[in-house]
This record gives sequence, structure tokens and C-alpha cells, in this order.
Amino acid sequence: MRPLTLRRLLWTCGSLVAVLLVLIVLVLRLGPAPISVTELVMNLGRMAIGRINQLPADDQLIVFGIRLPRILLGVMVGASLSVAGASFQALLRNPLADPYVLGVSSGSATGALIAMMVAPQFALATPLAAFLGAVLTITGVYFLGLRDGNLDSTTLLLGGIISASFLSSVIMFLLTLSPRDLRGMPFWLMGDLSTPPVSELQWIFLVGLIVGIGAIYTTAADLNLLLTGEREAAHLGVEVTRVKLVVYVAASLLTALAVSASGAIGYIGLLVPHAMRFLFGSDYRILIPTSALGGAIAIVAADALARTVAAPTELPVGAVTAIAGAPIFIYLLRRRMR
Amino acid sequence: MSVSDANATLAARDAAAPPAELPRLAVEQASYAYAHQRRSAPMFTLGATSFQARQREVVAILGPNASGKSTLMQVISGALKPLSGRVLLDGVEIRSLGTRTRAQRIALVEQQSPLVFPATVGDYVLQGRHAYGRALHLATEEDVGLAMNALAQVGAEHLADRRMDQISGGEKQRVILARALAQQPLLLLLDEPTLHLDIGAQVDLLERLRRLCEENRQTVIVVTHELGLAAEFADQVVLLHAGKCLRVGTAAEVYQRELLEQVFGAAMDVEIGPAGRPRVSLRSRASGEPRRTM
Amino acid sequence: MFVDQIKQGRWRSETRAMSFAVAALVLLAAAGIFSLPLHASARSQNAPARLTVTDDLGRTIEVPQPVRRMVSLAPSMTETVFALGAGDRLVGDTTACDYPAAAQTIAKVGSVQAPSIETIVTLRPDLVLATKSLNRDATVEALSRLGVPVYVTDPHTVQEVLTSTARLANVIGATHGGQALVANLQTRLNSLRQRLSGVPPRRILFVVWMDPLISIGRNTFITDALSWADAQSVVETSQDWPHVSLEAIVQLRPEYLVFAGQHGDAAVPSLADLQNRPVWRDLEAVRAGRLAIVSAALARPCPRIVDAIEELARDLHPEVFPENQP
Repeated sequence: MRPLTLRRLLWTCGSLVAVLLVLIVLVLRLGPAPISVTELVMNLGRMAIGRINQLPADDQLIVFGIRLPRILLGVMVGASLSVAGASFQALLRNPLADPYVLGVSSGSATGALIAMMVAPQFALATPLAAFLGAVLTITGVYFLGLRDGNLDSTTLLLGGIISASFLSSVIMFLLTLSPRDLRGMPFWLMGDLSTPPVSELQWIFLVGLIVGIGAIYTTAADLNLLLTGEREAAHLGVEVTRVKLVVYVAASLLTALAVSASGAIGYIGLLVPHAMRFLFGSDYRILIPTSALGGAIAIVAADALARTVAAPTELPVGAVTAIAGAPIFIYLLRRRMR
Repeated sequence: MSVSDANATLAARDAAAPPAELPRLAVEQASYAYAHQRRSAPMFTLGATSFQARQREVVAILGPNASGKSTLMQVISGALKPLSGRVLLDGVEIRSLGTRTRAQRIALVEQQSPLVFPATVGDYVLQGRHAYGRALHLATEEDVGLAMNALAQVGAEHLADRRMDQISGGEKQRVILARALAQQPLLLLLDEPTLHLDIGAQVDLLERLRRLCEENRQTVIVVTHELGLAAEFADQVVLLHAGKCLRVGTAAEVYQRELLEQVFGAAMDVEIGPAGRPRVSLRSRASGEPRRTM
Repeated sequence: MFVDQIKQGRWRSETRAMSFAVAALVLLAAAGIFSLPLHASARSQNAPARLTVTDDLGRTIEVPQPVRRMVSLAPSMTETVFALGAGDRLVGDTTACDYPAAAQTIAKVGSVQAPSIETIVTLRPDLVLATKSLNRDATVEALSRLGVPVYVTDPHTVQEVLTSTARLANVIGATHGGQALVANLQTRLNSLRQRLSGVPPRRILFVVWMDPLISIGRNTFITDALSWADAQSVVETSQDWPHVSLEAIVQLRPEYLVFAGQHGDAAVPSLADLQNRPVWRDLEAVRAGRLAIVSAALARPCPRIVDAIEELARDLHPEVFPENQP
């Protein structure tokens, strides 16, 4: 018997953090403006200490004004989507669940679309409306998912799928009838990191991310038990109602934040948890942190590809995850069958 | 942790337990009803039922399908709040215990549906220790010892590193039981544990339960419709029919021919065997001869 | 338990390493997120003389003077800059900028919809030119936040193209070239209007795409251009790019079918193609062979539109332009 130990947990997460940091430094080098690794590391160091004025002017702008915020947004989005995906897979007891199955991204997209149609001149309007759309959908689907006063997994899944479907048709409707040609919408629907939101919103995202992942992590042990069945979990000492509510709200909020910041990037929330299960096992106490880190690594890598593969045109990162996602999924599926 | 250490823990707990006059389990006039739809009248699935059980006792809740057995089980386990009456464990009302405490005292063994993400047997049994942990509930050495002990008690130690989807049905049954034992419960509840087992495995399981009951000083409650097994292994039988409790007592007391025929709807004969335990035979209508010994 | 082990010193080095890693990551995050406005303002402090202007959207921007390096994010902007005689100061344009030929040799910053912000910034432009109709608001937003001045044009009518071009000329320091250009264009437009005054407008169907059939709404730029050529679309709607049914078109009986592009383009059929298509071949215009193919510049808000308008006017009203008859 080899139960999960704190030591294994820390070592695994530590290694993934190291991989992420190395990847970030490598990706920071990528782009039209050449930057050497030593220069880069020295600049990062100077910035960490606080000596920002000593940085050379142009490199500063390119690395810290453009590349780094984009990479960091990618880290946050990747972490939120993966943890949300893993959480929904447990909550719904379904390996095919992803962060969007309960309609959050469709609600977000509807909000964003309405903002683009009605108030395109306000930069803040789109992410805020997207978030509002998501929150409304989360609340609505919650009430749809109640059965005898409790959140029921199957009912929730059905309610979510119906909402997603309904909202998608609303989006189609609005797009067809819109008087203006909405240029930004396809990028939003695919997920795009090239235009990060303002710093204030990014701070809110970071705080939301930490709170959300933290809340879900407190239920990690409970989720392992919940997967064997709700009644079984209750008899083993799990507060089933509380855990389901916390996970539902936290995972939905993580999705809402990610989608409001960068649109609906696909495949990450579905695949990264499965890949991490394949590598490190299904125990949620290790799955949650590794999914967060794995998602960050995946998005940073995908975005680096999106930026360079068709240079100077920048593909939306969602296009890369979609193309790469399907074959990876098939590979994982076949390994699992064996 | 060795078996003797585990026993020592149990002994310590017993020493702290309330005096022996109080029965381990007391079901007092517990009943349950639920309304199928909000506006329709509630249906009684369980009429007022009472019985008591001591340590090291095996109780069989016996009855045909839809007799209220599972409902009674759920009420005893604390999952359902009885409409009337109460269930007491060592003098404390079960519903008043928190989820965590209840899990440390009562364990329920049911059929396990296929796992979405199959874990190893070891991790599965360790889940039984959840109620004793905090925060991340990472397994301590004590937890691991108790889990291995539980596996040993069901004869499945060698399966510890196998995956749950790679073991046979019978082995899985034993692993589920091990998880319940790992909870170190005072009360062990089993819902139709013999359902998919052949007769040899059924007897095997019940003998094992008797043994565990003795070793761990637990109270074991088995819901079943198997007349023969209940007669052979139960110290006490609670006979249910259509939601009503018809008789409580030893097997010899409960197995009255007219009663059994009424409940199970089949003609049968009851004899008392050499050990004082009744044996039931089906009577075929045509010949009047005993047709089969159950 | 974990705490006990820490006290025993067993976890000390590992915990320390982990804490450093986490702290580094969080610090990086905070710094990255904070650095954006910092550097945008840093750039503006180092700038030379600045001129405050208002673009077509009413946005106030500070344009460094003189404007030596420009990046264009739309084909119409590229064309306009060249027409103003300032093409040599264009250091970057999009992959869609194909006119004039010189535009194709300029460094590309990406597509119109998804240019590389980084490439633009690397070129160190004094000014970036964009359009409301083709470029994404998000792109303009992102560049502005980095301290790069973006001038956005948004002409809705042909007349507005002229005024917009004149204002742009002032902003980029091509005032002379601008005045001359605009004066010439205005004269040509006015004379065209004069010649066509009193002539009843041609009822036409402007075909953006055939399958499905997409035409234009009354608020589009093309509609205004068509009116200068004394032509009127039979489709009346406020939607910009309406899907219309062919049956409805048959009812409306347009006199001419107008396509913008060149022979061989996917959207531009030949008369023979149309005569082979069901329903299309029953249109009056097709049976009478009244097909006008006009340059793609008709859809582009730039100086060349006047050429396209003149060409279309000649095609639609041959009797007014006898000198062009073979």
C-alpha cells in the first residue's frame, strides 16, 4: 500500500513549478524582438528586487509590457480552467465534463456579445458583462439542478447542457441580427490572450483564482470519496451537501473569471486533468495542484505556438488548443484502454 | 500496526464506553414515510419498529422485497430521519451526532457501482479512515496499519496494490467490507451482502462476519431475504412485511410456520435443528412432501 | 504531524526551497501585472514634441512630431498614406495590404484582425493607423495601453472619406499633398454629380456573395458610394450585410447586378455563369446582360474609390458618357 504522502505531494508540485518557470523563461525569449537568456534573467532579477529603472528601455517594454503579462494571464487562465474541469469531473462523476458543460461559457459569451453590440467604446464593458453573464448562468443552472432541495449531479448536468444549448442559440440569433459586424466575437469564442484586460481586473482574477482553488482544495479529500457515490461518501463522514455547493460555486467562478479574461479556450479543462491523472494518479489531493500547474504549462506552451507558428499573424490560443487537443485526447484514451 | 494493537485500541474505547446495561443499539418505535410527489399523501414505507442489539451480536433484518428493510437500514444508519421514534447508539441519538462522529461509529456496506476513476484497493480502504483525519486527510502510519488490518480481517491483504477494476466481484465485496471495517465502527450495517454470491461465498461471508463481530466487539446488522442464512447466523431476527415489523426475537421464536408463509407467500415447514436453530423447507403444493431444504 | 516533522528539522531544506519557488512565482506575477502602466508612462516621458489631435472617433491622442515612422493596420489606410505621398514613412503594414505595389514590400505586422502587438511595438512607430470597421477594438485598446498612439478613422460616406483624409494629412505632416489630393477628388465628384443630375437612379443589386446571397444595408459605406454613381440598391435594411432570398430579388427586379472585384475572383461570376444558374438566369438584368463589375476599391474607403465610382457610373449610365462608347 502506498498512500499519498505530503512529501510526494510537495515534490511533484515543486517539479511542475520548476518546469513552469523554465518554460516561462524560454517563452519570454520567443518573439520578433531578440532577447538573450542572460539579459532576460538579469532583468527579471532586477525587477524582482525592485530596481526597475535600471532596465534598458525597449526590452523593458517588450518583455514586461507585452510578453510577461500575456504569459501570466495564460498561467492564470490555464490554472483556473484545469482546476474547474477536474472539479466538475468529480462533481458530476463524469470523465467527459469540462468547465463549459454547465453553460458558464455560453452565458459569458452572451454577456460579452451584448456588451460588444451595445457599448463597444468602453473597454471594461466586455469583461464585466461577460462575468455578469456567467454569474447569472451559474445561478440559473444551480436552481435547475436542485432536486428535493439538494444539488443532484444528473439533474445539474442536464440543466447545464440545456442552458448551454439555449444560450448558444441566443448567440447565433444575436450574431445574425446584429446591425454591426462584430469583429471581435470569433476571437472571443475561440479564446485569445493577445489583448489582456486592465491591471485592476487582472488583480481581481488573481485573487479570485487563489480563493477559488483554495476553496476547492479544502474539499479535495472529500472529492475522492464523493466519486465512489454520494451515499457512500456521506456514510464515510463527508458533508456532501456542503462540499457539492462549495465545489459548484468555486469551479463555476473560476471558469467565469477565465472566460471573462480571455474568452472560451477549449480542451484545457477537459484534457489537462486527464493527463495529470495519467501521470500522477486520480487522488484529488494531488490532482488539483498538478492540474493547476499542468494547465498553466499547457496554455503558456500553446500561446507560444499561437504567437510564432503563423508569424507575424497571431493565432488565437484557442485554435492551437483545439488542433492539438484532439490527438492528445485520442492518445490518452488509447493508453487508458490498455 | 498489529492485530493486538488494534484490539488494544478497541478495548480502550470499550473501557470509556457507557455501562453494560445500556444496549449498543436501541431502535425505539422508528418509522418512516415519504411523499412520492409534493402534493400526494405520504406513503408509509416503515411502520413503528423497535428492537435492541448488544455488542457481538448479529441481527438479521428479514423480509421479502419491498418490505421496508432498506428503509429501516437507512434510518438506523442515520441517513434518514425517522418520522417518529428514535435510534440510539450507546444511549446517544444517532441523528444528533455530527457526520464525522457518525462515520466513526457506524459503517454501511452496500453494493459499489463501478468507479469513474478506479483507485487502488489500498487507497479505497484508506477512505474508511476519512472520518478520523483533518484538512487533507493524508494517511498516517496508524491509518495505514488499520487499513491493512482490515484487509487482513477479510483475507484480502494480497490485493492491497491492485486496482479496483482489476479484482473479481467476490474480492470487491470483501474490499468494500474492509473499508467499512477500517472505520472501526461500533455498528456495522450490511445491505443484502449476499446478493450476487454463490452459496459457498455466502456462507463464507457470514461466517466471517460472525468472527469479526466477536473479534471487534461490534454489532452487525444484516438486511437479507435469505431465510436459511438468517436462521443459521443471526442471534436476533427482525421480521418485516409490507413496511410493518411483525416479530422480533431469536430465529426459533420468529420462524413460526404461519407467519413465514404469510410473509413470504410460499408453503413451508419449519423444523428445529440440533443446534436449536430452525430449518425451513419449502413444501410443494401438489405432493405435500417437503421439497427442498433451504 | 507535518508541523512536528518540521520541528524535527526533517523538512527544513525542502520547505525552504518550495517557499522560495512559490514566492518567486507570486512576485513575478505581481510585478508583471503591475508593470504595464508603469512602462506606458515611462515611454511618454521620453517623447519629443507632441501634438494633441482628435481622431474620427473623438479619441484624443498625442502624436509625436514630426511623424517619421507609421504602421498601418488596414489596406485602406495604407493606400491613403501612399496617395498622400507619405508612403516612404510607412514602416509596417498588414498582410492584406496589396495596393500600391510598393505596399507589399513593407514589413508585415500580421493580419488585419490579428496583428502581432509585439511586432508593431518593435518597429517603434510614432503613429499607428487603424479603422473602426476592420480592426478590432481590442487591438486598438492594447496598443494604446502600451503607450503607442493609435489614430482611428471611421468614414461612413464618401464625403467623410475626403474630410477624414484631409485631417489625416494634417496629423501626419502631409498637408500639401493632402490638400491637393482632396481638392482633385472633390472636383471629380462634383463634376460627376453635375453630369448625373436629373438622371433617374439605376436600381441595382449589389452582390457581396452569391452562396448564400449577401447584399448591403442602407448604412454601409458602399451604399453611399453607389449613390454618387446615381445607383440605388433594391435591398432596404438597416442590417449591414443582410442575407437576402433570391426570390425576393426576383420580385424587386433590379436593373443591374453589380459585383466588386475582378474577373476570376470567387465572388465575381461571368455573364455565362449567371445564365447557367437557376433563378439567376430568370432575372431581367441577367437576361439583358446588364452586369457591372467594378473594382474592389468601391468597398475600400480610400482615394481610389472615386475611380471606382466613376467607372461604375459609366457602366450604369452609358448614355450620359457617350465618349466612352466603343
